[in-house]
Amino acid sequence: MLLQLNNISKWIQSGGQKVFLLKDIDLWVHEGDFISIMGPSGSGKTTLLNVIGMLDDFNQGEYTFLDQSVHTLKEKHRSNLYKQYIGFVFQSYHLIDELTVKENLEMPLLYKKHGGSERKALVADMLDRFNIVGKKDLFPSQLSGGQQQLVGIARALIANPKLILADEPTGNLNSKQGEEIMEIFKELNNEGVTIIQVTHSEKNTSYGSRIINLLDGEVV
Amino acid sequence: MIRNYIKMAWRTAIRQKQFTILNILGLSIGIATCFMIGLYVYSEMTYDAFHEKADRIYRVNQPNIWRNWDNLASNTGPNVAIALRNDAPEFEEVTRLLSIGNQIVRSEHNNEISIYNEQQYFAAEENFFKVFSFEFLQGSPAAMAEPMSLVMTKRTANRYFGEDNPIGKTIDVKDWEGVWQTYTVRGVLEDVPYKSHLQFDMLVSLSSFSDQMQRDGWKWIWTAFSTYGLVKEGTDMKALTNKIQSIPPKWAPPTTERIFNQSFEEFTNGHPWTLDLQPLKEIYLSESPDFHFFGPTGNPLFVTIFGAIGILVLVLSSINFMNLSTARSSKRAKEIGVRKVLGSKRKALIKQFVIESTIFVLVSTFLALILVQLSLKTFNTIAEVQLQLLPNLGRPVFLGIIVLFVLILGIASGSYPAFYLSMFQPVETLKGKISNRFRGKGVRNGLVVFQFTISIALVICTLFVQKQLAYTSSLDIGFKKDNILQIHNIEQIGFDTQILKEKLESSPAFSKVGKSFGLPPNIWSGDRYKAKNGKNEVVQLRNVRTEEDYLDLLGVEFVAGRNFDPSRSNDKYKVILNEEAVKLLGWATEETFEANSSIGKIVALASGDEDEFEVIGVVKNFNFNSVRQKIWPLVIIHHQNDKVWDYGAGLSFYSMRLNPEIVKSKVDLQKVINDVKTDIAQIDPSIPFEYSFMDQEFENTFVAEHQMGNVLNIFTILALIIACLGLFGLAAFTAEQRVKELGIRKVLGAKVSELALLFSSEFAKLIVVSVFLATPIAYFLVDDWLTNFAYRTPIDFWVFVIAALCAFLITMVTVSFQTIRAASANPVDSLRME
Repeated sequence: MLLQLNNISKWIQSGGQKVFLLKDIDLWVHEGDFISIMGPSGSGKTTLLNVIGMLDDFNQGEYTFLDQSVHTLKEKHRSNLYKQYIGFVFQSYHLIDELTVKENLEMPLLYKKHGGSERKALVADMLDRFNIVGKKDLFPSQLSGGQQQLVGIARALIANPKLILADEPTGNLNSKQGEEIMEIFKELNNEGVTIIQVTHSEKNTSYGSRIINLLDGEVV
Repeated sequence: MIRNYIKMAWRTAIRQKQFTILNILGLSIGIATCFMIGLYVYSEMTYDAFHEKADRIYRVNQPNIWRNWDNLASNTGPNVAIALRNDAPEFEEVTRLLSIGNQIVRSEHNNEISIYNEQQYFAAEENFFKVFSFEFLQGSPAAMAEPMSLVMTKRTANRYFGEDNPIGKTIDVKDWEGVWQTYTVRGVLEDVPYKSHLQFDMLVSLSSFSDQMQRDGWKWIWTAFSTYGLVKEGTDMKALTNKIQSIPPKWAPPTTERIFNQSFEEFTNGHPWTLDLQPLKEIYLSESPDFHFFGPTGNPLFVTIFGAIGILVLVLSSINFMNLSTARSSKRAKEIGVRKVLGSKRKALIKQFVIESTIFVLVSTFLALILVQLSLKTFNTIAEVQLQLLPNLGRPVFLGIIVLFVLILGIASGSYPAFYLSMFQPVETLKGKISNRFRGKGVRNGLVVFQFTISIALVICTLFVQKQLAYTSSLDIGFKKDNILQIHNIEQIGFDTQILKEKLESSPAFSKVGKSFGLPPNIWSGDRYKAKNGKNEVVQLRNVRTEEDYLDLLGVEFVAGRNFDPSRSNDKYKVILNEEAVKLLGWATEETFEANSSIGKIVALASGDEDEFEVIGVVKNFNFNSVRQKIWPLVIIHHQNDKVWDYGAGLSFYSMRLNPEIVKSKVDLQKVINDVKTDIAQIDPSIPFEYSFMDQEFENTFVAEHQMGNVLNIFTILALIIACLGLFGLAAFTAEQRVKELGIRKVLGAKVSELALLFSSEFAKLIVVSVFLATPIAYFLVDDWLTNFAYRTPIDFWVFVIAALCAFLITMVTVSFQTIRAASANPVDSLRME
């Protein structure tokens, strides 16, 4: 068991009333799962993903990640946890515009205090693995959307996370680029990486093993 | 990691060129201003530090025994030193300098006669060089032991003797009786350093004047000396000061009795005759005494004003820096979010931003140093100082200060943006939410208001300084000071100058010619007088000898009686008073002023001999000193009055009123001056020809204020530029923030002009607040400054209005670029982002 959500609820107060963003969510994720979260706009997909990624708080319920109860952890420990085990991929890639491909890949390693030569080796591995060695000195703006997302995935993977959270990873890509990205996710999943993706596309769900449908913050 | 930060800083800087340039430019100007002022203040505060024993040297000050016992004066009689040597063994040395005024010096070298009017010519005692460390190039301090010997600086030696060795050569100096005295050059000194309160070209041995100094009567009242003491190491200065207070009452009584026929107590009239020991390094910048005979005095008020401005400008530009960096954060929100998600801790982010701002400060500092070096020459000219940057750069202390400065400023101005930027939740920043929830607005507006308050206050102060200067130069001073040419050194011709006068009068260029023994605005001499049959009280009056023509030439107005009349030989023992003198002598009061009341009354000298003079006229008050001061009581003495002690002594001048119908151009004027020069040379070729114009001399009394005005102008403009840079950056930022709002308004039907008004009104509000804050501050400062002057320009309301309008205009011009851009943007572009 990689992580487990029990009865998770998240709400905001609006005009004296609780508005639920998430309501009584139960979710088990095993290592090696490839889960797709689906639902219409405003159904709480991204909120759920952020809660899983520990970027966002919740108001009620229990969250266990690798046998640690996240809801009891302090902010600092929680962030250490996600930094160590979780990689993020974003719809709009979120590469740092001022850094080259190579430097973008290197950044998570800098924060994890890897030595210089180790960083170099890991970055070289990633560039190799995603076939972007030739692009290593280019800036994000010089790449196509598909290539940027490739770098985004490589950056998420470089610190060797157990879980990848992808928020509409193909949302800004055309269908061909989207397919390539999904193929890569499939391959990664085959290699044992757990993946949770938020998606609108039925087609993308076919790459995964499970689908969770959300509506108004509840699993349907 | 650091490398990554630096790389990031560099690439961000390049990407956001506008912000980077604004930031660096503003900060560089601020730092450069601060450094420049720092150099100035440092220079002013370290005068006389080059003397090896500077910490043990003190000047002996005493009350001004002639005029105002409450004022401390830097000059003493010769015997203060003798008494100190006798009674205070704490002094290792006590030495004296004697001021003897300008001297006509002649020398013959290689068959060429050179004559100069030496201004920086003093007499020094033989132990002078045991106290002060002026460097000998040739000769030795022993040179000053013998009478009729002198030392001169290298520059002066060059002037007289060229490249030849001056040692053993002689020069002739005209003494008080007009006899040439021969002095031998026994030493050559390195030129006196710029930062010395003693500035001399020649020093003659004080022993040359031993006769005069031995005269009993003069020992305590010949106050043309400055006395300096070198105390032994470890001296308790407080105890020593207390101890020497007993000296004047013990030693001075024989002098007061002999000269004034008064006991010591009568002479001091209850005022304590104190002796004050002033540390050497404090002399230059001291407020009291504010004057001495031997060189320049600094202006502590300027140092304070400029020190404050330097710090203010630095604060202004640091605020800009913080403001712009914070404003920039929306652009970097995504980066911060990504970094956080990828594992950066808050501390690491803070570190990153502080390092980034330190790099900015470092670059700006470097630019600032270049700026300072480039503008140093101009600044030196305007402020009339000799500041240097490069020699200081080599000194570790100075470098240390710069490094410290960079670190402190970098951390201080980087920390607010750093803490602020690192505070965001990553989820929010990734969504770009931060822009809409920007909370620093109040702070940023507050900072802009602060900046503009200072800038506007400075503008108001600057306007009033200029207004006061214009006011003082346009004041009616009681006579017509324009078009008066004055020739100096007339006393060198001798007392009878009728031949010269006739020559001058024959020239059609002059409508009036008159001789006087003093020239406004520099009539300082005075004496003790009392009114016979009035208040029988001794009062201090200024006095000046003139002939009747001089008063006509000035055009002073007689309110009672008449001018001297050359056809009445008795007139030479008559005097003319000004209105103030009539009041002070007790013949009239402010309320019931009646000028005629004094005609025929008797004024008597109260300095020993009680010679009596009849008053024949009263002139309306006129400013014979700078208009900085109130008009002092004045007695005008006939030029041939031989009963007053200074008969036959002192400087004299011929003044000529130019006839504007003959002297129409500069060329004419130069010709007139050349003619006068020829006339004098025909009478005596050894007389140095010097001339001046009275209106210029009056202007010169405000030279310090003009200088301050100029420097203030520069700094005010700099402060305005910095404030505008900040405003420009803020406007750009706000435009970006509100692009969506403006887009929506436009889609809903707003016109460009309406949007522009909406947008600029936000800044207009800030300026209005600044004006309201700046007005009382400026009023207080201006009011305080104006108390330095006897004649003050009124603090008019319209000046404040002008300053406010200027600030408004500048603001609108500054933000208009952004306003127009934001208002005319196509809403399709701005709304598409969502």
